[in-house]
Amino acid sequence: MELSLPRVLFLKCVTFCYICKRTVVSTKPIEPGKYMTFSVLDRCMEKNHIRMVYYYQSSLGEGEFGKMTKNLRETLSEMLNYYPMVTGRLVRDSEEKWKVKCNDAGVRVVEAKAKGSVEEWLKNVDSEKEHMLVYWEDMYHKPYYWSTFYVQITEFEEGGLAIGLSCFHLLADYTSATNFLKAWSDISLGNKITVLPLFHPLPSTRKRISNHHPYFELINHYKSSIERPIPIKEEKYTIISLGFSHQMVNACISKAQFNGPSGPITMTPFEALAGLFWASISNIKGLQNGLIDMSICLDARKLLGLDYGFFGNTMIYNKVHANGNLEGNIFVQATRYIREVVAKMDNEGIMDLIEWLEKNEMNSPRMINGPDLICVSLENVEPYLSVFEDWLKPLRVSCYIEPVLGEGQVLILPGTPEEGPLSRVVMVTLKEDEAIKLFEDDLISQFSPTIFMKC
Amino acid sequence: MPPMLPDFSNSVKLKYVKLGYQYLVNHIITLTLVPIMLGVSIEILRLGPQEILNLWNSLHFNLVQILCSAFLIIFVATVYFMSKPRTIYLVDYACFKPPVTCRVPFATFMEHSRLILKNNPKSVEFQMRILERSGLGEETCLPPAIHYIPPKPTMEAARGEAELVIFSAMDSLFKKTGLKPKDIDILIVNCSLFSPTPSLSAMVINKYKLRSNIKSFNLSGMGCSAGLISIDLARDLLQVHPNSNAVVVSTEIITPNYYQGNERAMLLPNCLFRMGGAAILLSNRRSERRRAKYRLVHVVRTHKGADDKAYRCVFEEEDKEGKVGISLSKDLMAIAGEALKSNITTMGPLVLPASEQLLFLLTLIGRKIFNPKWKPYIPDFKQAFEHFCIHAGGRAVIDELQKNLQLSTEHVEASRMTLHRFGNTSSSSLWYELNYIESKGRMKKGDRVWQIAFGSGFKCNSAVWKCNKTIKTPIDGPWTDCIDRYPVHIPEIVKL
Repeated sequence: MELSLPRVLFLKCVTFCYICKRTVVSTKPIEPGKYMTFSVLDRCMEKNHIRMVYYYQSSLGEGEFGKMTKNLRETLSEMLNYYPMVTGRLVRDSEEKWKVKCNDAGVRVVEAKAKGSVEEWLKNVDSEKEHMLVYWEDMYHKPYYWSTFYVQITEFEEGGLAIGLSCFHLLADYTSATNFLKAWSDISLGNKITVLPLFHPLPSTRKRISNHHPYFELINHYKSSIERPIPIKEEKYTIISLGFSHQMVNACISKAQFNGPSGPITMTPFEALAGLFWASISNIKGLQNGLIDMSICLDARKLLGLDYGFFGNTMIYNKVHANGNLEGNIFVQATRYIREVVAKMDNEGIMDLIEWLEKNEMNSPRMINGPDLICVSLENVEPYLSVFEDWLKPLRVSCYIEPVLGEGQVLILPGTPEEGPLSRVVMVTLKEDEAIKLFEDDLISQFSPTIFMKC
Repeated sequence: MPPMLPDFSNSVKLKYVKLGYQYLVNHIITLTLVPIMLGVSIEILRLGPQEILNLWNSLHFNLVQILCSAFLIIFVATVYFMSKPRTIYLVDYACFKPPVTCRVPFATFMEHSRLILKNNPKSVEFQMRILERSGLGEETCLPPAIHYIPPKPTMEAARGEAELVIFSAMDSLFKKTGLKPKDIDILIVNCSLFSPTPSLSAMVINKYKLRSNIKSFNLSGMGCSAGLISIDLARDLLQVHPNSNAVVVSTEIITPNYYQGNERAMLLPNCLFRMGGAAILLSNRRSERRRAKYRLVHVVRTHKGADDKAYRCVFEEEDKEGKVGISLSKDLMAIAGEALKSNITTMGPLVLPASEQLLFLLTLIGRKIFNPKWKPYIPDFKQAFEHFCIHAGGRAVIDELQKNLQLSTEHVEASRMTLHRFGNTSSSSLWYELNYIESKGRMKKGDRVWQIAFGSGFKCNSAVWKCNKTIKTPIDGPWTDCIDRYPVHIPEIVKL
């Protein structure tokens, strides 16, 4: 059980150190006896956790820093009134499944400070350094005392702030976590929360008239991941971050465009970039004219007719099949395969999956993002709207979905609004030697990405 | 436990007999004077005015006699008025309202306990059982230093807590009373467990730039009853210094005293003590007569320290591992009962109406002379007071006193609800309770309040106040935002 903060190496301590750890609770007490259960989609994410880092520039002068953290804690307290699930603790129900007991225990908050300014930090950051800005503890032997959410506030001595949020994926996906931070920023500005969290079950499958052929591909993908053992690789991964400007993403999309039966078909930025990285990574891994196994992951809130405030998991994974030998431009082919799969992931298909998962509760997969390369679309929310009191917009937002145990992971996030609506930031998790090769790959470098984070 | 009278008081007839007896004895003087006056006036009327004039002329007065009598009367009146103790007015008081961010729900408290005492699950279990039965609610507050994992009880943090609590309460008091810092003549600060140098009273003087000829006192180590000891001290000082204002600050600083060891007897205070403080303005100025809320009637102090068991009952010491904590002995309730008995024996004659005192005297004589087996009569204090403020030391204390003094649920409501909302705030809890009664609109002019506090030593101190003017709701205080939710039902055991 983690009690004291990890000791940092002497060298690192010069640039960074932890100050303290505490628990922050909501301002109003919760009625005792409330519980919240998880959906089948939540349970697929039981082995994962999310980490996010938001960087901010500060407009306050020096000597005001302790005050910033204090204000943040107070506004966090107020915001937690709307998230009883976050301040609760995990217990097992009669069927040995997890549920949350809303016992008002609070979230852990860690405070730290770093030397230099936030801009200096961002110039030399790598994933190891960034991990210092977002605190996480693995589940304790006794999960009843384990906080599912962690917030870290790091102040930079010469200006700037970093907010790190990590959470257990069982409770929330990237969209929910981003909305959590947005709610916090709303309260800090003295406003009402714009996207109120909604806690309710997934749309019911009972009233459906299912006399259609169920979409088996999704169900098969989930079925096969149960049968596959969870890989326990001891590989060393590294994470790099590349930024693509609006024009470059546009160029990428136009390159992937092809003529369909009813006119030219334009890819979405996700499809284009996912295809790009799929092709590039397959090349790096040695497949000259083929594509490695890949799964994509989308946020299905819109498809399920749910509000963006829905708090929970709606990430759906699906395998993209690359059939046989590929001819011509691998990149274009890759995007086409992705397009096909995305088109088939409609409301009916997802509801079929949910129905199947609910019927087969005993055999649900515990970890859906297995050994394939996974491309995740995280573009549905706008993290740059989280503006806290006194500061400017976030300078940068990073995200990690851990652990990565397969070929790798590609997260496609929106870029800063100033760069344009099509700009994107791609965070790639690969083995170290492969990541180095990625920088030199022609496919990628033709779109002149900005390197935000090196190996 | 003192035995009760045989219970035939249910009989309605007996109730009226009792009422009649009380009215007779309490108004005996009026009842004897009325027939005498009637007799005299009838006699006068019978005699007629001429007869009265003759009677008057027959009394030979000369000038010397008249002058001497007049001087005698004036002399006696002057001596009487000069030796009468000055009236002490409680102008107003302010309680510290802890910030909501310091709130400690049960789950957080237990979690922190578990994380800190990870090698002693039995101690954690013990704390959980205490908390379940404690009578505390989910809104009590601990100072920021205790929220850390592990807690960081540095001296700086303790000073920080002291500044937060005391300055907050004093600012509130200044605002309520319009008092200027320069007008404070006497300052008394009591805080039992934190006593830095310079003292907390010096800290207050420094912050508010009080006068250099202020009479300041700092009482430490005197436990939860120190609040009333400070009031007593203020009263004595205000007898000596005419036309003065005295500010009393009662608080308990939790930060340095969070016990981090495993001894069960020492873990109890961790579960019950919470952040709180109060600042009270007392005055002997006649100009405050109109706006003062209360008049101080009596203060009775009882000290049982001569008895060894009572002395060691609440004892600060080091445990086997060298960690300092406050050990509470198992006979705490018994000793508290004894101390209370002592206190009310002194208090009784001062406050009880003549009817109760007569009954007590008669049963006492009866027991001594006739039959020692007669049950001792417990005077009904409900006739002497309208409101009771029992120090919210813990649920057991309130239960015990309710039983001993035969109080109804409404009488102890203020104490129970203060324990629920604010926890045991030590010497300031009496003021939160008084504020509860005022917030509920129950305080009317002429109501008498009895404040009882217990403390280490072992001491039992009481103060009696009389309400000077009806207090209208809503009032500004720590209960403002939550008074409508109270009273709440507090279950015997809260399942954690």
